[in-house]
Amino acid sequence: MKKIYILIAFCVLALIQIFIPAQMVLSQETVLEKGKAYKFITRPIDPNDPFRGKYITLRYEINSFRTIDTTWQRGDDVYVYIKDSLGFAKLDTISKQKIVRDTDYVIGKATWLNRKTEWNKRPTHLNFDLPFNRFYMNENKAKPAEDVVRLRRNDSTIKRVYGLVHIKDGTSVLKDVFINDISIKEYVEQNRP
Amino acid sequence: MISKFQKEIQLLLDNQVINQETVKRIETFYASRNEEKPNRLFTIFGVIGATLVGLGIILILAHNWDNFSKSIKTVLAFAPLLIGQFFVGYSLFKAKAKSWVEASGAFLFFAVGSSIGLVSQIYNIPGDLSSYLLTWTLLCIPLVYILKSNTLVFLCLVFATYYGCNYGYGYFSSSHTPWWYLLMVITLIPQYFQLIKSKKDFNFTSICNWLFPLSLVIVLGAFTETNSGFGFLMYILLFGVFYNIGKLKFFYNQKLRRNGYLIIGSLGTVITLLITSFKWIWNDIFRSEFIFNPQEAAIAVLLFVSASLLVYRTTQKEKNNDLSLFQIVFFVFALLFSVAQKDEVIPLVLINVLLLVLGVNAIKIGADRFHFGILNYGLLIITALIVCRFFDTDMSFVLRGLLFVSVGVGFFATNYMMLQKQKKTTKSISK
Repeated sequence: MKKIYILIAFCVLALIQIFIPAQMVLSQETVLEKGKAYKFITRPIDPNDPFRGKYITLRYEINSFRTIDTTWQRGDDVYVYIKDSLGFAKLDTISKQKIVRDTDYVIGKATWLNRKTEWNKRPTHLNFDLPFNRFYMNENKAKPAEDVVRLRRNDSTIKRVYGLVHIKDGTSVLKDVFINDISIKEYVEQNRP
Repeated sequence: MISKFQKEIQLLLDNQVINQETVKRIETFYASRNEEKPNRLFTIFGVIGATLVGLGIILILAHNWDNFSKSIKTVLAFAPLLIGQFFVGYSLFKAKAKSWVEASGAFLFFAVGSSIGLVSQIYNIPGDLSSYLLTWTLLCIPLVYILKSNTLVFLCLVFATYYGCNYGYGYFSSSHTPWWYLLMVITLIPQYFQLIKSKKDFNFTSICNWLFPLSLVIVLGAFTETNSGFGFLMYILLFGVFYNIGKLKFFYNQKLRRNGYLIIGSLGTVITLLITSFKWIWNDIFRSEFIFNPQEAAIAVLLFVSASLLVYRTTQKEKNNDLSLFQIVFFVFALLFSVAQKDEVIPLVLINVLLLVLGVNAIKIGADRFHFGILNYGLLIITALIVCRFFDTDMSFVLRGLLFVSVGVGFFATNYMMLQKQKKTTKSISK
């Protein structure tokens, strides 16, 4: 291969390498700017990623929906439609495909279909994970964040834990996590367990 | 400082085995060979340095500096990437030495990872580890060909394997097949071929001879979709392909330690056969819940055809060696597997016999070639077979004990006999 072609190929690749993260930044910024903000009630637990650092996994209250469809498989995409209830997110409906509805939606992942059986009297419902269940935190704050919520939940000092999520056209960005309306980062600094 | 080699040469000279002229010729030969050595060493250290710096940057950024504003963090995300690209561009434009290219390539590889990672961190982008690894590796594979870099072949293969495992064996992945892994490996193969062709004796080539089959062995399990025993068949077929690649003239005429295909193929075959020599495997998995899956069947057929073609090539076309039993184990196992759907006793007994024959076969090859390694490998196969039968047969303890004693004696006897034979041969040569 001639040197000039190699150089051109490298320049194209370098641009793609810059474009991918830049495009990620741009699409997230668009959602933050133009998307509607919802508060999702949640509970944090702390795992970590070998390359991207510590994060807290968020277990949302919105995590299951009654269904009569028994063909759901683990790992299926779930279109979760959300409506606004005084700023907080409320589950509207779920679907396998995109449907015409005037509420916002996000695409979650089916985790488990809990069937009604002889022993399980609860109606059949689908459990799912919402896509914005990772909140990256400083490595010294992720574990305390989990501990502070776990230890204080019982003594009722913690009234509300929620994630502030911007949603636009099915894309969501988790902006911050709040404990009693204070950002979790500040709350951990103020109340180290 | 005088090396051992120089001392030996001096000894040969003193004893008039070689003359002064030969010594000079030997020295000139080694001096010319050593000329490129410092450069190669510099490349290795350069790559290690760049890799460590790259990984260090990823770790430092993973700390999550939440005192920095979002815009500063975004600048930090792109800085290592741009620096890496600058160095790669510089070494390309200025046509720098190989060490420059390899080191800057390794740094850019990790810079791409750190850049995507930090952006994900800033915006809490939910993608799991596998999608992150996939984007990262795909963005770096073209660099392999632009830079013609060996380090990048290594890094891309390792990260592709990591992706394959994470995607294929994860919690959500019962129905996920890592096709992207396969694509990434295929895109790396031309560079690997180039390496085999032009730099056959390089250490890095022999690392690749181990790394490529090892990676495929690790990830093949992710291509199975059912829990039936079909996975065993797929693995035996893959090991059959590897063993027969190892038998190709090109690989077979190299040192054994450079021939990862032959060793992985042989060891893998024996281990899989040992696992399937247990009765419960045939009772539980093979008979009760066989589910036909087209994807598994297609992969099995592809592997079977490749292994058969390789057997044909090694025995008929290249004619470099006789057909060994190891080469056709995959075929025997495939036959037994099809029988197993009706009757599990016949395949079970035949697999035990097959292992025994393989062991004896290896001992014979070892004895014929005066190769202690192969001889003891054969003995080990037989020992492993006996140890396995220790667990699931109702043999009396006395009989089991006697079996162990006889194998132990066999170890001593065969090694001793071969040693004697070797001594005799050496004596006759020296006479």
